[in-house]
Amino acid sequence: MIILFVALPLVVAGVLPLVGKVSRRVVPDLLANATLLALFVTAAVAGRSLLADGPVLQQLSWLGEAVNIRLALDGFSLFMLLAVSLVGLAATLFSIDYMEHYGAKANYYALFLVMVAGMNGLVLATDLFSVYLFLEVAAVASYALVAFGLGHDELEAAFKYLMLSVVASAFILAAIAVLFGMTGSLDFTAVAQALRGLDAGAVVGIASAFFLLGFGLKAALIPFHAWLPDAHPSAPAPISAVLSGLLIKVSGVYALTRVFLNVFGLTPALSTVLMTLGAVSMVAAALLALGQKDMKRMLAYSSISQVGYIVLGIGIGTPLGIAGGLFHLFNHALAKGLLFLTSGSVQQATGTRNLDEMGGLAKRMPVTAATNLVGALSIAGVPPLNGFWSKLIIIVALIQAGHPVFAVVAVLVSVLTLWYYLLIQRKAFFGKLNERWAAVKEAPFWMTAATVLLALLCVGIGILFSSTITTWVQPAADALAGGVQAAIGSWGF
Amino acid sequence: MIVQTVLLIGLVLFSVLAILLRDLLKSAISLAAASLLLGIIFFRMNAPYAGVFEISVVAGLITVLFILTIALTKAGDEVRESRLVNWVFPLVFVAFIVIDALVMKSLLGKVPALASGPESGAFGDVLWKGRTFDLVGQIAVILAGVFSVLALFRKRDKHD
Repeated sequence: MIILFVALPLVVAGVLPLVGKVSRRVVPDLLANATLLALFVTAAVAGRSLLADGPVLQQLSWLGEAVNIRLALDGFSLFMLLAVSLVGLAATLFSIDYMEHYGAKANYYALFLVMVAGMNGLVLATDLFSVYLFLEVAAVASYALVAFGLGHDELEAAFKYLMLSVVASAFILAAIAVLFGMTGSLDFTAVAQALRGLDAGAVVGIASAFFLLGFGLKAALIPFHAWLPDAHPSAPAPISAVLSGLLIKVSGVYALTRVFLNVFGLTPALSTVLMTLGAVSMVAAALLALGQKDMKRMLAYSSISQVGYIVLGIGIGTPLGIAGGLFHLFNHALAKGLLFLTSGSVQQATGTRNLDEMGGLAKRMPVTAATNLVGALSIAGVPPLNGFWSKLIIIVALIQAGHPVFAVVAVLVSVLTLWYYLLIQRKAFFGKLNERWAAVKEAPFWMTAATVLLALLCVGIGILFSSTITTWVQPAADALAGGVQAAIGSWGF
Repeated sequence: MIVQTVLLIGLVLFSVLAILLRDLLKSAISLAAASLLLGIIFFRMNAPYAGVFEISVVAGLITVLFILTIALTKAGDEVRESRLVNWVFPLVFVAFIVIDALVMKSLLGKVPALASGPESGAFGDVLWKGRTFDLVGQIAVILAGVFSVLALFRKRDKHD
């Protein structure tokens, strides 16, 4: 049952290029969207009943014989699966109309589904090497997707992304090798147990540093962020949405959190490092975003800043902090996905991403303007939208844990965030209509539908925030908080 | 011990050559030589499967791919390269060797010795019974690679 999350997208991806020979558009559209919808329904409906008796560790059998595929589903992984399938579904819906002019749609969906399979596999993995492997699956697919437009900028951005990402993977692999050398195992629980009985502070320190560097690069935390502002804007809009909304969180934040909270255990020193990295990313990226003229580039910097919030929240290590960080991860996935999609609508309608050339587009594209506003206000943390609640929880957790300075920084960055999002809104959508855009029309149906879906979710989750937290976020935070409880501070940090 | 040291020095030497040589063909051959030595080291350390894969895939297959690709490129497409690497790389390399010499010995003392021995069990057993989920991941990596090639080398008429 759980293997479906990896197997289904892979199988459909394998079939798609063949189907693409017969039907260039309709069948690939249908297949890709149906797959994501099936995954979403499975995660949302069946997932919770699977978890009724606590985390599931599944051993697969093939024709009656047990094979060594072990998958683990706990609150945290189910939460991530839900986010992946939901934002993925919005992106494929958007792709129906948007990817029309790129050509090679079947191939595009195939890569997309391989990327989804990679993210899902990473989320369900029970050992360190599988984490590395599926990290690479998602990454290899994403390199090609960034370059999918085949223009000069796209290829250059993809190359830069590839180079930095390979460095990240090398560090992650080195850290895994060090851990395997010390403990003789790759399994999360076995490694965690072995580490507890081991007196090897320096080596654990090196492994932690390598992991931090590797996952930090994948999550684009400052100072490891150089690739993201090039790679994310260059990709086609739905891919930008998935990269910013999901990939940096799954291969960066999720993997980092799993390793540091469930395997190493969060030590006070590590907590300080994570919180500092988070706070620096938050502030620096927000300031960098202010100066951008390219709409998607501004959104990309905003992603770095918001990942900073997530890492700050998780880095606190208290149950409330972790819950706030995870809730913000989910909210940011929805809202940033939404904003990249609306920026795609604008780019397709006007042919530009330069904010100075836009103006007054709300008159021509009212739905896009409205959904963009919802996404912007949500990320900026304006009540009653979802982003407000997650930021509030993070700030309350910071104050409770005795970090008032970080709390003040978080509030101030929130104001900065609102500032640059209002800049986008004012320059692109409000004000006098630029003469050049007199003939611009609202985005096609499926593109609008995808953005409206995400905007409604932002509003809905904002209003029903407490039930979202109890049903989805809390089980995820509990799965992690257990790891913090077991943390030991005896590794000489 | 002497053989091992010679092999390791050769490995480092050829790896450095692979980075510093400006002629791509010579660079690819240096890389092949380096991985051949690495393969032999694997054999000597009782890891025959790792050795076989290192020699057949990295020294063999990948070198062939590199040489094929170099043969397909046109001469005269000069790309201006940064000269920075000529002095940055040796600096970093020397710094690395110094740090390695200072730190590694004490660090290695802290790594607990694991029960080691010749790889046990048939290779298929190890792969199928021990790391089955990795096979799924490998299939996915191969799919991703194939689709990437298809996507990046498609006809561009529509987009342009």
